[in-house]
Amino acid sequence: MKFIHDAVSILRKDILLEIRGKESLSLMLFLSLLFLVIFNFALDIDKENVSLLASGILWVIFSFTGILGMGRTSMSERDEEAYLSVVFSPVSPESFYAGKVLSNLLFLLLMEAFTLIFFAILFDFEKIITLLPQLLPVLLLGTLGFALVGTLFSFLATASRYGEVLLPFLYLPVVVPVILGGVSSMDIILNGKPGGPGRWLQIMVVFDMLYLSLSLLLFRYIIED
Amino acid sequence: MNIIELRGVEKQYHSKTALSGIDISVGERDSVTVFGPNGAGKTTLLKIISGLMQPTKGKAFYNNKAYSESDIKKEVFYLGHKTALYNALTVKENMDFTCRLFSLNHRGGSVEKTLREHGLWERRMDPVNELSQGMKKRLALAKGFITNPEVFILDEPFTGLDLGWRSSVLSKIKNIRKQGKSVIISTHLVEEGYALADRVAFLHKGKLLFIKKKEETEIGEIYGLFDSLGENIR
Repeated sequence: MKFIHDAVSILRKDILLEIRGKESLSLMLFLSLLFLVIFNFALDIDKENVSLLASGILWVIFSFTGILGMGRTSMSERDEEAYLSVVFSPVSPESFYAGKVLSNLLFLLLMEAFTLIFFAILFDFEKIITLLPQLLPVLLLGTLGFALVGTLFSFLATASRYGEVLLPFLYLPVVVPVILGGVSSMDIILNGKPGGPGRWLQIMVVFDMLYLSLSLLLFRYIIED
Repeated sequence: MNIIELRGVEKQYHSKTALSGIDISVGERDSVTVFGPNGAGKTTLLKIISGLMQPTKGKAFYNNKAYSESDIKKEVFYLGHKTALYNALTVKENMDFTCRLFSLNHRGGSVEKTLREHGLWERRMDPVNELSQGMKKRLALAKGFITNPEVFILDEPFTGLDLGWRSSVLSKIKNIRKQGKSVIISTHLVEEGYALADRVAFLHKGKLLFIKKKEETEIGEIYGLFDSLGENIR
């Protein structure tokens, strides 16, 4: 119970920080919109090819926008060394990590929902909304993988002066399996390809579990000097 | 009885030795002031005492237990060079968050009482980034008061404060002493550090030149040491 209470306290604080500071989610929403507009102009997307291109475009947006947003949530902990108020408290590093993952997961999912809606409007592709129940497990598993790795690496990277520049180089190679799984599963669902996304979803579950166990082990060393 | 004890502590950053041969203990209701010029290793020493940093060699004990087996981080309040506050949150939200972390009832009036004692109640709805440095330091100390730790570890608590705020923070730390808490302070401000100390220590180039009872050390001796090291601190 204490673990959950502490993680929820961190989540609640991050939501409050976002409401007050508007640094993470707001940045992600703006960037996502910017990416959509750029893709709209850069690619010759029409009704014929939109379902073939959709998964690639969306996961590029999710990956890059997500890591910038997660970098900002970690920076809010590093400013004034605010995270030390959690380090010097009865809250365990594991619950601190869980709380940060929950807040990153929430912000990422909100950004993804926003992106999907605007994608459907901008590219006249309402099919993506009607297929949402099938896409939901893909989005949840992919986003969880992003949040698990992004929380760990953004905390690590923001300890350095050039952390936010360094972050994508650390994060993206590690989440490649999740991105591959997300792109392939979404492509299978959107284009009704045979076999279904089951195998890719299994791979994503395995990687999420791997990320979770390694991050829980490593996080306590990252928050110490 | 010693609450905190460091034995033969050494800290190296790559090839540079930041601390060596440190033996220091802090007892119940004890107040130790660590003086030293810039770069002497005061911050490293306080980070090791707080458990935030691991020594390269030597051992640290909290209530006779090795740090790794103790709850040191739950029992000390550490205030470093920065204030450990969330800048975008208001004064009260920072206090409420601290209460939640410590499972304290923030609705029971204790937050109001503590903020009033620190002269911050009127500013409770203001975001921290609108406060002066002196107010931030007082809010950081207020967080320490409300969590009621056994030991306060304060690294250069007077840095960046003008004379008025300095005396305000000094009186807050005196209050901590009155409550019977152990206090470890690092500073290069001799008057303030001396006023708060039961024992004084002097650190230079990572080595403790001495640690003595206040009665055995004249304030002039500390000034003299700073002068001999070419540090103009008067």
